[in-house]
Amino acid sequence: MSDAAMKPGWTPRSAWAGILSEGSFGAKGSAGVIVTAREGLGIASLIAPEDGEAALSQAVKTRLRLDLPTTPRIAVLAGRALVWAGPGLWLLVTEDRTGFADDLQALSGLAAIADQSDGRAVLTLSGGKIRAALAKGCMIDLHPSAFPVGSAALTSIAHIGVHLWRAEDGPNGAVFEFMVARSMAGSFWSWFSASAAEFGCQVTIPRACHVGRG
Amino acid sequence: MRIPCPHCGARDAQEFTYLGDANPKRPEGMETTEAAMFDYVYQRDNPAGRLRELWYHGAGCHAWLVVTRDTRTHAIEAAEPAKPTKAGAAA
Repeated sequence: MSDAAMKPGWTPRSAWAGILSEGSFGAKGSAGVIVTAREGLGIASLIAPEDGEAALSQAVKTRLRLDLPTTPRIAVLAGRALVWAGPGLWLLVTEDRTGFADDLQALSGLAAIADQSDGRAVLTLSGGKIRAALAKGCMIDLHPSAFPVGSAALTSIAHIGVHLWRAEDGPNGAVFEFMVARSMAGSFWSWFSASAAEFGCQVTIPRACHVGRG
Repeated sequence: MRIPCPHCGARDAQEFTYLGDANPKRPEGMETTEAAMFDYVYQRDNPAGRLRELWYHGAGCHAWLVVTRDTRTHAIEAAEPAKPTKAGAAA
């Protein structure tokens, strides 16, 4: 997308453009479900080579000051997260793309790295009724006793592959990040909006669209 | 049926894809006999009882697992990563 963005006439387009609209829908009153679209994230998949996990782990520790999670967890520091995505497989997720390319370059000899920034669509989900809404299709037990802050999981919701993790709690309680393939964003929203409507749902789309790559 | 994925925890079977018996080893194609290759490709036991079988956790961790399951009761005795033993790989 970055090359295309430099050409006149091409404008980066949010994965949620034409799918989400700002405002409230569903039941009236205070929203039980709060949705925030994520824009401008840096996302890359990291696959460690056979017997190369220790070297990658060391490099990640040095470069990002993060420990590679070896269980379904996330490691977060200073706007960067490493999300477990399977044995020997992780996602690096950064709040913006400043320095993102440099991070990938620094790790490039130690893992198979692919930039997924424009290939995934992410929503931040919270609110007092968020677990009730998700329970209509999510087979993961998201109760705090089973899914504490920092937990991650890959699963299938409405036949859509979903990567999810629990961020630090916010003012509305538990906060979940839900990531789907960009091409499935519309299908995921179709399921989620129908599930969340009875609780009242408030949607926020941040102004900042794609930030230039560092 | 829920499969206790060693990476992800217990998950519904719909997250997995079934391959079958984990025991057959692919013969070296250039050296083996036609009969041995026929056996490997087509012949499978169909036991009523304990079976080691391959499952792929496609909606989860994308790992192949060897699941030891009783085909009569669906009771699962063990589920372990297939990679260390290279289950299903060439002999």
